[in-house]
Amino acid sequence: MASSRMLDSDHLSAIAVWTAACLVGGFFLWLLSDIVWHGVAEISWEFLTTAPLNAGRDGGIGPILVSTALILLVCMVVALPIGLGTAILLAEFTTDESLFGRLIRRSLDVLAGVPSIIFGLFGNAFFSVTLGLGFSILSGGLTLACMVLPILIRSTEEGFRAVPTDYRLSAAALGLSRFTTLTHLLLPAAIPGLLVGFILSIGRAIAETAALIFTSGYVDRMPESLLDSGRALSIHIFDLSMNVPGGDAKAYASALVLISLLFAITTLSAWIADQWLHRRIIPV
Amino acid sequence: MSPVILQILTLTGLILVGAGCQESPTTHHSKRKLVITGSSTVAPLMAEIGKRFEILQSGVRIDVQTGGSSRGIADARQGLADIGMTSRALTSDETDLHGTAIARDGIGVIIHTSNVVSALDDGQIADIYTGRITNWNAVGGADALIVVVNKAEGRATLELFLKYLNLINTEIQAHVIIGDNEQGIKTVAGNPNAIAYVSIGTAEYDARREAPIKLLPLGNVPATLETLRTGTFPLTRPLTLVTKAPPSGLIKTFIDFARSPDVHDLVTQHFFVPIQS
Repeated sequence: MASSRMLDSDHLSAIAVWTAACLVGGFFLWLLSDIVWHGVAEISWEFLTTAPLNAGRDGGIGPILVSTALILLVCMVVALPIGLGTAILLAEFTTDESLFGRLIRRSLDVLAGVPSIIFGLFGNAFFSVTLGLGFSILSGGLTLACMVLPILIRSTEEGFRAVPTDYRLSAAALGLSRFTTLTHLLLPAAIPGLLVGFILSIGRAIAETAALIFTSGYVDRMPESLLDSGRALSIHIFDLSMNVPGGDAKAYASALVLISLLFAITTLSAWIADQWLHRRIIPV
Repeated sequence: MSPVILQILTLTGLILVGAGCQESPTTHHSKRKLVITGSSTVAPLMAEIGKRFEILQSGVRIDVQTGGSSRGIADARQGLADIGMTSRALTSDETDLHGTAIARDGIGVIIHTSNVVSALDDGQIADIYTGRITNWNAVGGADALIVVVNKAEGRATLELFLKYLNLINTEIQAHVIIGDNEQGIKTVAGNPNAIAYVSIGTAEYDARREAPIKLLPLGNVPATLETLRTGTFPLTRPLTLVTKAPPSGLIKTFIDFARSPDVHDLVTQHFFVPIQS
């Protein structure tokens, strides 16, 4: 009697878990197939390399891809060192109870929940106007860097905290300096956390429209320098679907490119981290 | 230090140095670059006019940014933009600015094609937007609750629509708030009980491409590009370029170009009515 009831509840929870998982997968497949269905016909080498014409209804997304890549590059080049540094400080050099650590962590958690339009307005006021960068890829990238830092720092910090304390004690017992311990032992072991943060950040940055419309702007010409305004792919999709009559087909195609890019970046960064992990930890 | 971190730091340095180097040529060129910001209704048209202008005047760059008419006014005033775009005429608070109309647009009320209502008078529209009429059966339609779609604050379309109906925004009982025109059309196309108001050109274009929406006449005048052209449609607006000082130099050349017959084909292509000068 008791065992059959246990079996029932086992079955029930199994069904619940499987349904939940299938729902998530199903939604993703639905979304993906909708975009592929509507967008794949427009995709061609020409679409990826030529400039948009007639407000984006014709032509391609060449300059927009370049602008998007530059914005992401600026964002990551600025956010990664700052993020890594702060995470190391939080995880290795402050305790859970210290006032300073608590203050930083609390600020980061609040910042992580701030709507992106706020970052956009801040970026516009600070980078575009106060620092005089105007509407430029640099302003856009820096604004995105501010936006993704909280996620990047918190998940990297979790990565460091997940490394067992034994590692640090053993390293100290062997007489290794803290710096050597950090670069040769803790950093490689914390890579999964850093990677999660990196992927989440890239995902948030590449999908961002609100923070960019006031900073990197709307110009769909090929950028000549980081101080030129450049339209990001997500803004292009938003404009085509919300503001340009007859822009839907190209919007779907651009969305397909965006999702493929995201997929490629995720896969590539997982692969690189895997390589690094093997090189660092196993042979030492 | 790990080589990867070193590489990242080097890259950061390079980018900052690169930005510094690029600073001087860009500021040097700044006289030949026009920044235009504002109305999302005007922006796609202006970007196309800008591209044509760049071909004619080599070495000139026209950067078009969007964000709404209020932003066009604010940016032109602050000097963040050389030219602001608004999809309405300047108001009495804005006499410090100089406006030039480049094209004409109208605002029309749209509903779903499955809705049997074929006309609403101004009083009925005002009652629907203020929540005094909440069911389509009160205006000759089916028994269904009306979904009121309103524009976001700061949009010229909203200001003109309210002015036409003698309403203020706080009276409006809206269920959905939208930004750009296409968003309004998609909202109505996806909701048989919705009512919204959008740029007539955009609505006509989408209706022709089989979006399930129809434009209602306003004050008994059918909402078409034709009645806009003849000037009989009651709710029209000039698409206006705004400058802080009276236009001169390159700014004047551009504004003159933007209202010249050389771009009338672009204006028509974007479903606006060219200004006959």
